[in-house]
Amino acid sequence: MSSRRPRSWQSSSASRITDEQINDLVSKLQAVLPEARIRRSDRVSAAKVLQETCNYIRSLHREVDDLSERLSELLASTESSSAQAAIIRSLLM
Amino acid sequence: MLSRTHFIYISACVAAFSPSCLLSFSVAAMQVTEAFKHAFLKQMLLGFQASAVSTNSMGFQERKNAIKLSADVAMAVARGSRKWTRGLIAGLSEEQQNRSFLQLILGEQYERRLMKPCYSSWKIPRCRKIVRRSLRVCCRRQKKKKNQSGVLARTLVEKRTQQLKRLVPGGESMDGFSLLDETLDYVLSLRAQVDLMQSLLTTVESSKLRSHSKRTLPERKASYVGK
Repeated sequence: MSSRRPRSWQSSSASRITDEQINDLVSKLQAVLPEARIRRSDRVSAAKVLQETCNYIRSLHREVDDLSERLSELLASTESSSAQAAIIRSLLM
Repeated sequence: MLSRTHFIYISACVAAFSPSCLLSFSVAAMQVTEAFKHAFLKQMLLGFQASAVSTNSMGFQERKNAIKLSADVAMAVARGSRKWTRGLIAGLSEEQQNRSFLQLILGEQYERRLMKPCYSSWKIPRCRKIVRRSLRVCCRRQKKKKNQSGVLARTLVEKRTQQLKRLVPGGESMDGFSLLDETLDYVLSLRAQVDLMQSLLTTVESSKLRSHSKRTLPERKASYVGK
């Protein structure tokens, strides 16, 4: 989308020409946030959307970290004899 | 490198995947397609192979970091070419320890990415641009002192934008519009990453349970017969 705009427009973050598109993106971002279903009707401020987005990204990072830990534990406790465990090991080796 | 059994395993993970983020906006927006899921899981398994994650000799933290690295690379590769994916790979390659892994996993793709202009070399001119821009904004704010709430709102947006720039990979060099666009894409990709890792975890857990129960079943039978 932004590639259609001239370079000079790209460098100015709040130009009048792209205001509508910015608002469009902000509302799309709002729709993606976890509480979107509750608050979709309200017109939430841009600052609030940005803040919620930051919080959401941080929580997703934490989830990835947690899942990495759980996978690490799971792959550590390898049981040798059964065929299933052997398949998993060979797949993940 | 991956055998048929690998792909059967991948299919199992895809089947276990619960589509919590199958939202579609415009054509240009990120969609969690089957192709994405396959690419992600395949790349994850390749990553596990490359870092030999299943070997017992690895410590917990080392294994966890290898898994996380695999997951991030998998997400970037599955998504394709975006500003944030390039920023992510660039960020990862800044650390010496990751480079051999990235070289192994991405192969010639990695060489091509390295050929692209490195953001870090733009740091100095960018700083001047930012300083000049913020000075302009400050002057503008001083002129508009009457509109207090407007200034406050704009300052808050500025503050949040700065925070967002640090969270989205490659965000530091993005202008406002790109940042929002990339953020939307990045958030959807992150959600997909979480869901896919969860399904991978579930699949491995359940197959372990199955293997465990298979082993204990004969013992249970014997005790039942005994009764």
